Amino acid sequence: MKNSWKLASLLCGAVLMTACGSDTDTGSDADGDSNGGGEGSVDLVINSFTDELAYPIEVFEERNPDVNIDLQIIPTENYVDTLRPALESGSGAPDIFTGEIVYLLDWIEQDYWMDLNEYNVDEWSDDYLDYVWELGRNEAGEMKALSWQTTPGGIYYRRSIADEVFGTDDPDEIGEMFSTMDGLLDAGEELANAGYRLFPDEGSIAPYTMGNNPEPWVNDNNELQMTDARLSYFDYAKELRDNEYSALAPAWSPAWYASFNEPITYNAGWEEMAEGEETTEVFGVSLPTWGLHSVLKTDAQATAGDWAVTNGPSAYFQGGTWIGIYEGSENKDVAFDFIQMLVNDEEFLTQWVEETGDVLSYKPVMEEVAQDYSDDYLGGQNHYEFFLERAEQIDPSNVTRYDQRLDQMFGASVGAYVDGVLTKDEALEEFYAEVQNAFPDIEVPESN
Amino acid sequence: MNKTDDQTVAADSTAAVSKRKTKKKNHNHPYFYIAPFVIVFLSFNIYPILLTFYYSLTNYTGLGGIENADFVGFENYARLIGDSFFYEAFFNTIKIWGVNFAIQITIAMGLALLFSDMRLKLKGLNTFRALFFLPNIITIASVALLFSILLDWNYGSLNQMLLTLNLIDRPINWLNDPVLAQGWVALIGAWMWFGNTFIILMAGISGIPKDFYEAAYIDGANWWDTFTKITLPQLKPILLYVFITSIIGGLQIFDLPLLMTDGRGAPRGALNTMVIYLYNQGFSYANFGYSAAIAYGLFIITIVFSAITFKTMYRSQVKVKKGGRK
Repeated sequence: MKNSWKLASLLCGAVLMTACGSDTDTGSDADGDSNGGGEGSVDLVINSFTDELAYPIEVFEERNPDVNIDLQIIPTENYVDTLRPALESGSGAPDIFTGEIVYLLDWIEQDYWMDLNEYNVDEWSDDYLDYVWELGRNEAGEMKALSWQTTPGGIYYRRSIADEVFGTDDPDEIGEMFSTMDGLLDAGEELANAGYRLFPDEGSIAPYTMGNNPEPWVNDNNELQMTDARLSYFDYAKELRDNEYSALAPAWSPAWYASFNEPITYNAGWEEMAEGEETTEVFGVSLPTWGLHSVLKTDAQATAGDWAVTNGPSAYFQGGTWIGIYEGSENKDVAFDFIQMLVNDEEFLTQWVEETGDVLSYKPVMEEVAQDYSDDYLGGQNHYEFFLERAEQIDPSNVTRYDQRLDQMFGASVGAYVDGVLTKDEALEEFYAEVQNAFPDIEVPESN
Repeated sequence: MNKTDDQTVAADSTAAVSKRKTKKKNHNHPYFYIAPFVIVFLSFNIYPILLTFYYSLTNYTGLGGIENADFVGFENYARLIGDSFFYEAFFNTIKIWGVNFAIQITIAMGLALLFSDMRLKLKGLNTFRALFFLPNIITIASVALLFSILLDWNYGSLNQMLLTLNLIDRPINWLNDPVLAQGWVALIGAWMWFGNTFIILMAGISGIPKDFYEAAYIDGANWWDTFTKITLPQLKPILLYVFITSIIGGLQIFDLPLLMTDGRGAPRGALNTMVIYLYNQGFSYANFGYSAAIAYGLFIITIVFSAITFKTMYRSQVKVKKGGRK
C-alpha cells in the first residue's frame, strides 16, 4: 500500500513535469537530435493564417528531400492570440511564421522575427517594390520580414456597362476619367442616369479620400491627422448615397457578392421607387490585387471576361502577407533557404505566378511576366503591368500601426452620417471619442 | 499484575500506537485524492486570476512581455469608473440579457407547465425535450452565421418572406438598427437556451409531489391557483438556480453579438457587451492592462448581481417558511 502511494505520487509528479516541460512539438527547439525525419533530415514548422504556402512548401520539399515542413494553419481570427504567447514565451514557437499588415508594424519592433540582414538580404532591396520592402524593416533598420507579394488596389469594372455608358471599355480611358474624385463622381452621375450604380456601397471610395498629399493617420507626435481630404469622405459618401450612385450592398454581404454577377435589389433605402426599378446593376468595385482571384474569379463566374481593372483617384494597397524566421529557431539556415526560394528564386516565382496569378513584389520576374500577359477573365488585360505601376506610387511612410482599426472606426462613423443617424459633427465627435478610448496615447483634435 | 498481564498490556499499547500511526497516516490520503484538482485549480484558475489583477495594475500591451510594462497602480480602475463606453456596454448587456431571459423563461415555463399538466397528459415528452434542446448543441458561431444570412438586408430569407407575404413594403435592415439588433440577439439567445431551462424546470416540476395537486383539485382549485400556490413556491429554489446561472452567463454574453455584426458592437455600439468591450480593449487595441481591469469590474458586477438575486429570493423563501410556522 505504502509503495503504491509512492509510485502513484511519482507518476503524478512525472506526468506534471512532462506536461509542463514538454517541448517535443516546438519546431524552434528542434535540434539535430530531435529532427524526426531520419538521419540528417530537418523538420521545419511554419505557422500561417492561409494555405498559400502549401505550394512553395511542396516545391521546397521536392528540391530538398531531407527537409520536412509542417505547415500549421491557424484561422485568421485566432492567429495573433494563438501565436503571440508562443512567440513571447518561446514555447511552441514555429521556425517560420507569417504576419499581416494589421499587426506587422507591431511585430517587427519585437524580438519575434530575426534580423534577416544576418543573411545580407539588404543586397536584394533594389529588386523589390519599395513599400513592400520598407514595411518589413523596423525603426532600428533591422529587416524582420519579407513579402513575396504586393497588394495595390484598383477599380474593377464591367466592360459591357462602360462601353454602353462611356462609349469605351479601355482601362486607360476609364482610368483617365477616374483620376480625380470629381471625375469619379461625374462618372457616377452618368451611370446613374443610365440606370446603373457606380459602386455597391460607399466604402469603395474610402481608399481615394486621402487626397493628393496624403498624411499618415497618426504623426510622430502621436497626433491624429484629420486632414480636409479625410473629412471629404463624409461628403463624398453622402453624395454617393443621396444621388443613388451606390447600391446599398455593404462589402462582404450577400448583396455585394451578387452585384458582381447580376442586377441586385436595392430598394431598401429610398422612400419612393418607381415601378420596375427594384433592381439595378453595379458598374464596379474597389478591390486589391487579391480581389481578382479570391473574390471575382471565385464568386463572379457569370460575368467572367467582362471585367477590367483601372486606377482610382489615388494609389492604395490593402492587405498583404509578410514572412520571417523566428528569433529562437534552431533551424535558421534551412528556414532562410525556404524564404529565399519563396521571395527571391526566379524559377520558383515564375512558376508561382503561373500557378496562382499572384502579383509579386519581386520586380525582375514581374517585369518579365508583364511584358506579354493577358488575363481572359479581365477581357485580355495585362493587369500585372497596371498593378506594378500602382504599387510603385505607394508611400510606406504614410502607413501606421493604427491604420486598419482607425479606418474601421472612421468608416463606421461616416456610415452613421450617411444613414442619417448622426450629423457630421456628431459622427466626428463619436469617432474621436472611440479613438481616444481605444488608443489613449493618441491625441485627437478638438471637436467643433 | 503478573508477567503475562504486563505482556498483554504492552502488546495492547503497541497495537494502539501502531493503530494510531496507521490512522494518522491514513489522514494524508485525502490530500493525494484532492491534489490533482488543487494543482489544476491553482495553476489554471487562481494563478491567472492573480496575474490578471497584476496586469490590471500595469499598462501592459501584450507585446514584449509584462516586464516591459509600467506599474500604474489603480489608474486603470479610475479610468473604468469614468468610462462611458463601459457603462454603455453594461446597459447593453443588461438589456440583451433581460429580454433574452424574459422570453426564455416564459417559453420554458409555459412548455414545462404544458408537459407536466396532469390533466392534459401530453405524450412524446422525450422527443420534444430533445427537439427543444437541439439549438443548444449547435455552435454559437454557426448560429450567428446562419442568422446573419437569414437577416440580411437585401438577400435575407426573412425579408424575402415578409415581402412575398406583403407584410412589409421594403426590406428591413434588421442588423443596422440598434434596438432591432439587440432584440434579435436576445431572441436568438432565448431560442438557443430555452431548451436547457425547460429541462431544468421540468425536473423541478416533476419533483413536486402529485398529492399537492390532487388535493388542490379536490378542494376546487383551478389551474391558476395550483400554478401560483403550488408550482411557483415549490419551484423557487430551481428558479433561483436558473436565474443566477442565467445572469452569470448573461453578463458574459460574447460570441453571438460579436459574430452577428462587425465584432466591435455595430450597429452604433448596440451590441458592444461588457465582454466584447473587454476583448476588444485587450486583443484589438492592445490595452491588456485596462482590459484586465474591465475583467475585475465584470467580476464585481457579477458578484453583486448574484448576491442581490440570492438575497432577494432567499429572504422571501425564509418569509414563506416563517409564515408557514405560524
